[in-house]
Amino acid sequence: MTKIETDHHDGTSDATPGGYEGQRRPGELVFGALLTLASLVLLWDAWGIENTFGPNGLSSPRAIPLATTLVMVIAAAVILLKDMRLPRVTGETVMKDILPTTVIIVAVLLVAFGVLLKPLGFLPTSALFLIATIKLLGDRGWGWTIGVALACLVLIWIVFRIVFTVLMPAGIVPEAELIQVVRNLFEGAK
Amino acid sequence: MDAVLAFLTVFTHPELLLLVGLGTFAGVYVGAIPGLSVTMAVSILISFTFSWDVHPAIALMIGIYMGGVYGGSRTAILLNIPGAPSAIATALDGYPMAKRGEAGTAIGVTTVMSFIGGFIGIGVLAVAAPFVSDFALKFQPRDYMLLAVLGILLVGSLSTGSLVKGIFAGALGIAIGAVGRDPLTFSERFTFDLPLMQGGISFIAVMIGMFGVSEALMQLHHVNKDAVRQQISRIVPSLSTVKKHLPLSVQTSAIGVLIGALPGTGGDIAALMAYDHAKRVTKNPERPFGDGAMEGLVAPETANNAAVGGAFIPMMTLGIPGDAVTAIMIGALFIHGLNPGPMLMIDQPDMFWFIVGALVMANFFMLLFGLTGIKLFTKIVEMPRSVLIPLIMLLSIVGAYAVNNSLTDVYWMLGFGFFGYFMRHYGYPLGPVILGVILSRLLDDNWRRAIISEREDLGRFFHGVFTSPLSTVLFIAVILIFVSQTPIWAKAKAKLLGGSGQGVEQ
Repeated sequence: MTKIETDHHDGTSDATPGGYEGQRRPGELVFGALLTLASLVLLWDAWGIENTFGPNGLSSPRAIPLATTLVMVIAAAVILLKDMRLPRVTGETVMKDILPTTVIIVAVLLVAFGVLLKPLGFLPTSALFLIATIKLLGDRGWGWTIGVALACLVLIWIVFRIVFTVLMPAGIVPEAELIQVVRNLFEGAK
Repeated sequence: MDAVLAFLTVFTHPELLLLVGLGTFAGVYVGAIPGLSVTMAVSILISFTFSWDVHPAIALMIGIYMGGVYGGSRTAILLNIPGAPSAIATALDGYPMAKRGEAGTAIGVTTVMSFIGGFIGIGVLAVAAPFVSDFALKFQPRDYMLLAVLGILLVGSLSTGSLVKGIFAGALGIAIGAVGRDPLTFSERFTFDLPLMQGGISFIAVMIGMFGVSEALMQLHHVNKDAVRQQISRIVPSLSTVKKHLPLSVQTSAIGVLIGALPGTGGDIAALMAYDHAKRVTKNPERPFGDGAMEGLVAPETANNAAVGGAFIPMMTLGIPGDAVTAIMIGALFIHGLNPGPMLMIDQPDMFWFIVGALVMANFFMLLFGLTGIKLFTKIVEMPRSVLIPLIMLLSIVGAYAVNNSLTDVYWMLGFGFFGYFMRHYGYPLGPVILGVILSRLLDDNWRRAIISEREDLGRFFHGVFTSPLSTVLFIAVILIFVSQTPIWAKAKAKLLGGSGQGVEQ
């Protein structure tokens, strides 16, 4: 198959998955080992699936899970063994090319988003998240950062709350009341 | 007559027309912005259109799909970053053209050729799908099972990267799809005795995580790169250029439809094969291939848009997706209570014709938006990544939450996002995971149906496989994919072809 060489070996787009042929990237062995281990755990778990209604034969609920996890174990082991024999890519480190500080910080921010979403509500959490990440990535002044973040948030909120009627946790902001106030204003104008 | 009326649904409802247009418009730009992909857009949109009626939801998603397949070519031409897998081949000659300052011409030709390819694909879909669906009624459960395995394997083997990694990804997908209570016996599978796992893992969370968050995290590596400014001039191509390449475009469209119609293969493979074909049949290109040959643009672009129509054939008639995007489209149909498969054509033929109509409309909109609005386009593409990436992440979270109003889904989504990030780094394809998740149920159900009807006897099962021509062909195809990746195959090939071994694809 024709392959294109771009400067992006790291799966920048769906079209070009990362990894190198004939070389292994830093951390690839650890990842491979973890996958093998996880597959083994899943295989063990699949073996324990019991058929409530009959024997654990070929048509029981364990058949396909057992088969797929077995395939996973074999595939993961093959990948791991192959990787062990490959030379490591020179000049790449985990901290620089796989998991730079920015990625770790953003990942933590994402988890924090999930944790705060319920108690704090969608609007304040999103505002904090957007301001923090845009400031971190954009390296611009606070005025610009907060302005852009809030403008985007308002736009997203209007589109999704009004057009798509997606309900997010309201938290500390009385969203429904606000919308009602605005509605009342327009009602009053009639 | 009913078919005609259903086909015209889109044209007679202004709001549906508007949605297809809006979707196509969004698709073109989503496909064109580096860092946003169609797969990402469609998977996030599923969750937002969840509460809508089926018609408007499908209209919007079809627009995005059609526009996105085309839009991916833009970044391939301008930045040498294919916006979608189907645009990989487009970059080969498109980028050299752009470097010479012919980006406008390249985009113009791409647009018109995508339009032609799109039409041929839709035409074939409209004619062939009813026949395929009649034929599909004769399929045994074991045939469905084999088709599902074949689809996952094909995605794994033909996308870039190694087959073993593809197989791992596919198996992982099937396992993820099996989590929760088994629908037939109510046994718990992979729940680890956690009540929260009993309902299974929402496939939308998996999709958004893998294609939204993981891609956004990937983009963090390139956040400091400036958006590339391109001078784009006139883009409407001359009639003579179109005429000159018409014969080639018809051939490559045919390749596109055919490849698209195979389960497990979609626009990306079609585009690469068409590119190879163009290389072989074009005797005297104005410029060599790889250096900005017009034929190198025409072939993949007609093929990948023709593959859209082609990919809808197995998707609608068998319920088996062609690639990650069609897998997500199947998910969308499921969510709206439709069951893609041979019965869809019998129970709800109007739905089929509605989709065909929407595709036709999306194709027109694609031509319109492709040839206009170039100023707006350059502005949008220059949107700073430091704003774009946080927005994608925010949308992913909202999307994952919106379907079930559940925080658990958000955590699953983030988990799969982080996992997908590492998979991308180490060259594991993500497409097979999604295909596995979508096909897990179909595979499981049909395997059990097949083996129960053979009284749980493997001997009888294989006897059945080899006495039915269809099952035999499918079974051999599955085996061939495995063998083709082993050293034995390479040796045999070398022997047969006397060491030249060139004509056979991977």
